[in-house]
Amino acid sequence: MTESADFTLGQVLEIRQEELLNAWMNSVLLTWRRKYPHTAINEDLLRLQSRQLLDELRKLFSGAIPPEGWEPVPGSKIATLLYDFSVKHAKHGIKHNDTVLYISVIKQLLIRALLQDAPPACRVLNTLIISMDHVLDRLTVTLYDAYLETRERIIAQQSLSLLELSTPVVRLWDRVVMVPLIGVIDTQRARQITERLLEAIAKYEATVAILDVTGVPVLDTSVAGHIMKTIAAAQMLGAQVVMTGINPDGAQTLVKLGVNFAEVTTRATLRAGIAEGLLRVGKRIVPIKE
Amino acid sequence: MDTLIPQENAESTIPIRDSTDILKARHRARELAAALRLGSADQTRLATAVSELTRNVLQYAGEGECRIINASSDHEVYIQVVVEDHGPGIPDIELAMRDGYSTSGGLGAGLPGVQRLMDEFHLTSRPGYTCLMIAMKRPRALSF
Ligand SMILES: Nc1ncnc2c1ncn2[C@@H]1O[C@H](COP(=O)(O)OP(=O)(O)OP(=O)(O)O)[C@@H](O)[C@H]1O
Ligand SMILES: [Mg+2]
Repeated sequence: MTESADFTLGQVLEIRQEELLNAWMNSVLLTWRRKYPHTAINEDLLRLQSRQLLDELRKLFSGAIPPEGWEPVPGSKIATLLYDFSVKHAKHGIKHNDTVLYISVIKQLLIRALLQDAPPACRVLNTLIISMDHVLDRLTVTLYDAYLETRERIIAQQSLSLLELSTPVVRLWDRVVMVPLIGVIDTQRARQITERLLEAIAKYEATVAILDVTGVPVLDTSVAGHIMKTIAAAQMLGAQVVMTGINPDGAQTLVKLGVNFAEVTTRATLRAGIAEGLLRVGKRIVPIKE
Repeated sequence: MDTLIPQENAESTIPIRDSTDILKARHRARELAAALRLGSADQTRLATAVSELTRNVLQYAGEGECRIINASSDHEVYIQVVVEDHGPGIPDIELAMRDGYSTSGGLGAGLPGVQRLMDEFHLTSRPGYTCLMIAMKRPRALSF
């Protein structure tokens, strides 16, 4: 009787660690290699991390069984292992169900081992299985959360870099160029925009540059600072700058922030800006007369 | 009328780790302001303030956290934003609050500008911890 009360999952893991690890890795790798023939899987690293995970499980189930409602503590060894695992596989394009498979395989192996090793008439077996099932379910959720978070992050970054590609400098008329700024302006993009604008000014011998900020979602000090540097560079090449597309809300906010574009001509709309730009090179848009 | 205010949005926490988190944080701020029926100028104000503070976190502390809290009552809209980090801290707060002071070649308009944009502004900082608490207060828009 005492023997059966002392029986723990920790013991099973202690005795069978290598055997379980091998079976686990074989099963997971078999599926992954079949589904992702072109993805290089670092098997040594996977094995190392899986061994560490088994170590953590062994510690967790060595004394009293984890309390009902157990959750992995964020930042704990076990949570970190799963987080890293998930992030890495999400980045390599392994699908979520194949990531979650990792835990469900070891769960089945452990249940089987428990049923085999339990002494006859073991009283705690049910409790043990239920508790282990719960713990591994929570680990699956941890894994899944980290996976989704990483995928979302990758998608957000991809859409940002798509935006990065779109910085056209348009030649509006002889000596008038225009740049529509769209999306997020960070240091890198600001530098790229400046370069393109300067190239265009030199190439077309432009004397007027129209900078349209209609497509910039938030004009904060950092964006304003970048735009100012771009403007200063254009002016140094002898171009006059007309800035367009600051909406009334944005204008109010900029004033409160204490940012002013004093040395630049601004126009509320792109249309007014184009008229102003043309005027400066002695042109005007007039209706066609019959 | 109060049923219009999303209750689960009473508080939301956004970890700030890279520049996409700035977008996320200011989007949440704008969304909450809109849900509470603040006008577009106030939405822009709040979003810009959040943008300034979270960018400072990335730029000077590497990472941190932004909490957007809806503490409105029946007669008042009250949005509080708490931005915290465990970076180096701001050694001279008075200097950092001065218009034009920047250690990074920026405009140095972020902190003093946010103070002017908001109704409440509290800054505490010591080595290893910086916390900014800002709030926007408006009388409730009349329902009709
Ligand atoms: N979270 C922070 N941790 C440490 N130092 C900070 C933090 N936030 C601001 N600072 C310091 O305070 C200074 C002023 O900040 P502020 O946001 O006003 O200007 P800035 O970031 O330099 O330029 P910008 O006008 O683009 O915002 C910064 O240059 C920096 O040295
Ligand atoms: Mg700043």
